[in-house]
Amino acid sequence: MSVEQCIISQQVKVKRTVIGFSLVARLCLSLLLSCLAVALHSPLALLGLGMASFVYLGISRPGWPFLWKAVRVLLWQTTVLLVLHYLRFGPAGLPTGLRISWQLFLAFLPGMVLLQGTSQSQLVQMAGYLLSPRFAFVLGTSLHFVPLLICEIKGLYQAQILRGARIERRDILKPWCWSDWVGCLIVPVTVHALSLAGDIALAARVRDFGVSKHRTCWPGTENASELEIPL
Amino acid sequence: MNNEMMNHESGLSLRDALFLGFCAVFTVVFRMAFRWHLGISGHAMFYTLALLLLARGSVNFRWSASCVGTLSGLMALILGLGKGGPLVVAKFLFPAVAVDLSALIWPLFFESYIAIALVAALASATKFLNSIVMDWLVGMDRVLILQRALIDAAGAILFGVAGSLLVPPVLRRLKARGVIQ
Repeated sequence: MSVEQCIISQQVKVKRTVIGFSLVARLCLSLLLSCLAVALHSPLALLGLGMASFVYLGISRPGWPFLWKAVRVLLWQTTVLLVLHYLRFGPAGLPTGLRISWQLFLAFLPGMVLLQGTSQSQLVQMAGYLLSPRFAFVLGTSLHFVPLLICEIKGLYQAQILRGARIERRDILKPWCWSDWVGCLIVPVTVHALSLAGDIALAARVRDFGVSKHRTCWPGTENASELEIPL
Repeated sequence: MNNEMMNHESGLSLRDALFLGFCAVFTVVFRMAFRWHLGISGHAMFYTLALLLLARGSVNFRWSASCVGTLSGLMALILGLGKGGPLVVAKFLFPAVAVDLSALIWPLFFESYIAIALVAALASATKFLNSIVMDWLVGMDRVLILQRALIDAAGAILFGVAGSLLVPPVLRRLKARGVIQ
């Protein structure tokens, strides 16, 4: 193994140890809180869980826009469930409606907090703990290239409109224009996505992707097995 | 398809896996983009079913839709989309498995509008099961569980069938151009 390869390998290992621990802990905590929100039924237990979730929220410091978004979700959901319970049970059903709304909110909140405090690269790294190295690579690469694909879709959309395709927003409600949506936008976008996937696969293959079942990093053409990082 | 690019265990090439990855990411992107909270139940099935069927129709791998469902479910779980915590994975996985199983039993259903609409209705109807499990776990009343699940499933079937009707012309044109086999 060359010095450069050794440094890269060590850097990756250190990065996984430092970031990985906090990520795994946060992911586990988030999943645990969500599962408990679904499993617990007692009002006292749900109150305690609510406090634990708010401590988690306080530690994560997601900011006011996030809190406002969470409050809106809670208000909307509570209104719908209270109306449903009132129609079914009358005023006696309102406490149950409130409890269920609170449970659903507590199931929803940890995931939102986790997303708020996690960067895109950390998300991809997190995927490595849930999926095989191959599918973690696929997920990470897809996430990475989707902005590029979206930019190209926008360019294609503009070009097709200039060609006279009836795919403007007002045309969505006109059934006789739907064939243009399929022929001028969906088919070219699918062809483009397949072509991009082929290019990425070729690029990964020439960098020895897939030579080992374990996760590998580039460069590693000659001693790929030495660069394997067990998950 | 290059044999060297094939995964010997699964039979899925990296190119196809990446295309499935794009489908999964777009499923989640659409779900995030169309969270308008209009109270229209099941509207997410429109693009979910369209993308699942497109993935299964474009990639000649028997668990293509399930791969898309698993990847998008995991992304939705990590991103905190939808209610129900870990159960959100089932929202993507159940219809995906229904699509794959239908394709195993009836491989030519992609060519007919009626057949694809039937399969889409079946896949969308899994929302009924999903809704029941979620509401039962939170301890809702049985009658309310059934009412809510029926409303959810009806909306999902309506939108799922509408989304599926986009797929046959797309697959037909892709085949005509030799992009897929």
